Amino acid sequence: MKEVGILLGGPQGSGIETSMWILSRVLVSKGYGVIADREYFSNITGRHSYIQMLASSVKPPRSLKYPVEILASMDAETVFTHFTDISEGGILIYDVNTSSRRIDEIPSMEDATRERVARILSDKNVEPSVESVVKYLERDKRILPLGLDFSALLKTLSEQYRIDARTLSRFLSGIIVSSVAVVLGLSEEAVVQGFEQQFGERKHLVEQNTALYRLVRDALSNHYGAVRLDEPGFSMEKAMVVTGNDVVAIAKIVAGVRYQSYYPITPAADESFLLERYDNIVDETGEVVGSVVVVQTEDEIAAVNSAIGAALTGARASTTTSGPGFDLMVEGLSWAGMNEVPLVITYYQRGGPSTGQPTRGSQSDLFNAVFAGHGEFARVVLSSSDHLDAFYDTIEAFNIAEKYQVPVIHLLDKFLANTVAVMPVPDLGGVRIERGVLAKGGPGYKRFSLESLISPRAFIGARDTVMWYTGDEHDEHGHIAEDPEIRVKMYSKRIEKLNLIQRELPLERKLRLHGPGSPDYLVVGWGSVKGAVLDAIEYFSEKGLRMAYLDVKLLWPFPSEEFLRITGGIPDSRILAVEHSYGVNIAELVSMSTGKRIVKRVSKYTGRPIMLDELVKGLEEIVSGRRERVVLTYGA
Amino acid sequence: MEPRWSYKSSVWPDWCPGCGNFGILTALLKALEELSLDPSQTVIVSGIGCSGKTPHFVNVNGVHTLHGRAIPFATGIKLANPGLKVIVHGGDGDLLGIGAGHFVALGRRNIDVTVILHDNGVYGLTKGQASPTLPLKARTKSLAKPNIQQPVNPVLLALSSGYTFVARGYAFDGAYLKNLIKMAVQHRGAAFIDVLQPCVTFNDVYTADFYRKAVYKLENDPGWDPVVKTSEEASVKLMRAVEKSLEWGDRIPVGVFYVNPHVSTFEERLGERLRNYPVQNPSNTPIESAGKPVLSQEAFEKMFKEFIVRVSGTQGR
Repeated sequence: MKEVGILLGGPQGSGIETSMWILSRVLVSKGYGVIADREYFSNITGRHSYIQMLASSVKPPRSLKYPVEILASMDAETVFTHFTDISEGGILIYDVNTSSRRIDEIPSMEDATRERVARILSDKNVEPSVESVVKYLERDKRILPLGLDFSALLKTLSEQYRIDARTLSRFLSGIIVSSVAVVLGLSEEAVVQGFEQQFGERKHLVEQNTALYRLVRDALSNHYGAVRLDEPGFSMEKAMVVTGNDVVAIAKIVAGVRYQSYYPITPAADESFLLERYDNIVDETGEVVGSVVVVQTEDEIAAVNSAIGAALTGARASTTTSGPGFDLMVEGLSWAGMNEVPLVITYYQRGGPSTGQPTRGSQSDLFNAVFAGHGEFARVVLSSSDHLDAFYDTIEAFNIAEKYQVPVIHLLDKFLANTVAVMPVPDLGGVRIERGVLAKGGPGYKRFSLESLISPRAFIGARDTVMWYTGDEHDEHGHIAEDPEIRVKMYSKRIEKLNLIQRELPLERKLRLHGPGSPDYLVVGWGSVKGAVLDAIEYFSEKGLRMAYLDVKLLWPFPSEEFLRITGGIPDSRILAVEHSYGVNIAELVSMSTGKRIVKRVSKYTGRPIMLDELVKGLEEIVSGRRERVVLTYGA
Repeated sequence: MEPRWSYKSSVWPDWCPGCGNFGILTALLKALEELSLDPSQTVIVSGIGCSGKTPHFVNVNGVHTLHGRAIPFATGIKLANPGLKVIVHGGDGDLLGIGAGHFVALGRRNIDVTVILHDNGVYGLTKGQASPTLPLKARTKSLAKPNIQQPVNPVLLALSSGYTFVARGYAFDGAYLKNLIKMAVQHRGAAFIDVLQPCVTFNDVYTADFYRKAVYKLENDPGWDPVVKTSEEASVKLMRAVEKSLEWGDRIPVGVFYVNPHVSTFEERLGERLRNYPVQNPSNTPIESAGKPVLSQEAFEKMFKEFIVRVSGTQGR
């Protein structure tokens, strides 16, 4: 097969994430492209979590699709929740000990989910037990059920290695990895390498998991390679396998971030965790060339304001958060705007309002990022549409912040944060670090000199230099000034930097057009919808419909002129917008900035990623003229 | 710097005539001068309110921040450039009302920052509302009704939060306050001075007259020794300071309540994690050379090898 969809499910805390990492690395080491989305509740142990993966022999995949060829389930809840996700002729791996489990015996399942699944089962005349579901899949959907006796496997393992029975659940991930690897026909050698990379120094875990792999392979010997991926048709010598959180943290180290503050929040905290792990930056000789001060503050207010403080001393400083935390940071953002502080806020959107869906994805904070904060001041809002993009954009965020002395919001989301993807190892050869106009200071230094739009910046601590900052309107020295003439000069200076930014940023930082220049239809979007949209466009182009995608990279200041130039020849009725929100708010931003009215919109706000198949159907609905607005809902 | 630096800036202090802030400012200026602190290596960070304007009147670096947030700004400034002397000025509404969480956090961290509390019992700049140190039932002149909230005890809060230098001064005993500020600035760790400050315009209960009569110096008791000599006696000294901090009313102690030089600072704790900190710190590490990142491709791939997968390919590849 060209590509294989895989779904791994089980209770949160049982090793589903570990399974994802091992399988992803094993597949990449064999030359395949992989993408894996992690879906979980705001919970540490027990709630249903799952991984949806796509492995491809053709290219590094950029979107997910349903149904999947393989569902590997640790528990009954996974079978009930996902039995409709398996393709006809696909494979279900499950624990035979759960066969008799009935849907009403699963306390971790939300009532609404239980009722929804029970309804589907009853419509199909299927008893709500695992056994009956398995029979139905086999009979009606030609799905091959591969029942494994999880307890027997673990018992054999524990006898072989004298493993304490209480710790056996740690090997559930081993069963999942092994069974999927066997079905995919992945060699023992590759799987063992995957275990080695995952468990590192803990050699006993590598050995025990390898033994488990052999047990599983023996149990499934008739099905080795039942679903085979074609030989990889693209070549990579080495690749990075990372989440979005990882890639942003790694990029921050390259960018020269030396101060990062944060308050724990999903789905942002992992980024700071990683920075803390790598806080000593070592060069090729092993010498420490710098370090990142990572501070877990008492709240997001302290996070943003301490980062601003650090930036005033010349450090590249940032903080990272999601919606609720960003809301708390807004007063600080306004101060940074007033004081022309190069501050970077990495903002991973999740489902709101309020606590909303803390572990699910969303793009509903576009307006929050663009407009939050009292008063008018220049800010820049950047989006990233995939992992590699996020790497370079992170570095660029600091360059823009320092060159124009503005706060920059790097607007990402949970999908990117938690999705594992394969990407090329970034080439640092092309990376530039631009610090903007700096000054040495000296007696009489004016931090807010009006001689130029960008006042040369000296750092607090510069020799023989004294400077002032204030959130009040101020004069060139940074002292409070309410004189109307100064007010006008300072106020407009700060805002007019936006024009400079508009003028100086190159087109590829603002908008990226994928596909033909004069398409039949143009899809407009930003951030993590790109992958699914590009794949949908590819699908339509095979059907003879020429579609293009315009990825808005610079959300603010909105690149109106370039947008109009690119879309000039396309009637409004042939432009669509896609977004993970109710409103598809990018269309409103376009309308406000350009006067162009995008009526046709594809929206999704379940918190689950947009799947290729549902997007294709949604776009078809719109293109065919049947509907103007489509709401997507796929995913458990 | 110039032979004799004027620590006073040219900005006119626009506080009400007779304001306790003048006493605090004078003491601060004198302390800076006597310590001959390098103005370029000194930062005054303030919040919002009458006291928030302090940095503009002082000729050293000044950062006038947000209401309640001076401590977080100061934290970032100090940790990014540990060579700086950082002094925070805030009112009691600022530091103990809206900013109370940060006040506690600074004590926990024991960052080498001095906090000077302008403690006047009212929100002056918004015309006299009750602030966090105004006692229950007190009725200052702009209050329509007596205060309905209990006060917070700044000295007690500082002691329990982990500040390693805790003192109280009085705004109109300038020479004494100056000495406290000098000690606080020279202390290694989080230092706190509660400065009793009459508000001539809005606080007609805790007036200069009141304080003149009530205030007495801790060291009048020849046995008073607030300094922890060995870590073992820390809890005894802390308890004694706590007990003293509860005195209020007719007799209010000023002076040094507690000094514990045996607690590691946050900067020292960071130094245990970060190999060259604080010598090498966020404000002074080069992050580029000729526009290129300091990390080479080779160093990058070595550093992040856990994320890099080598592709062996399938059969025959």
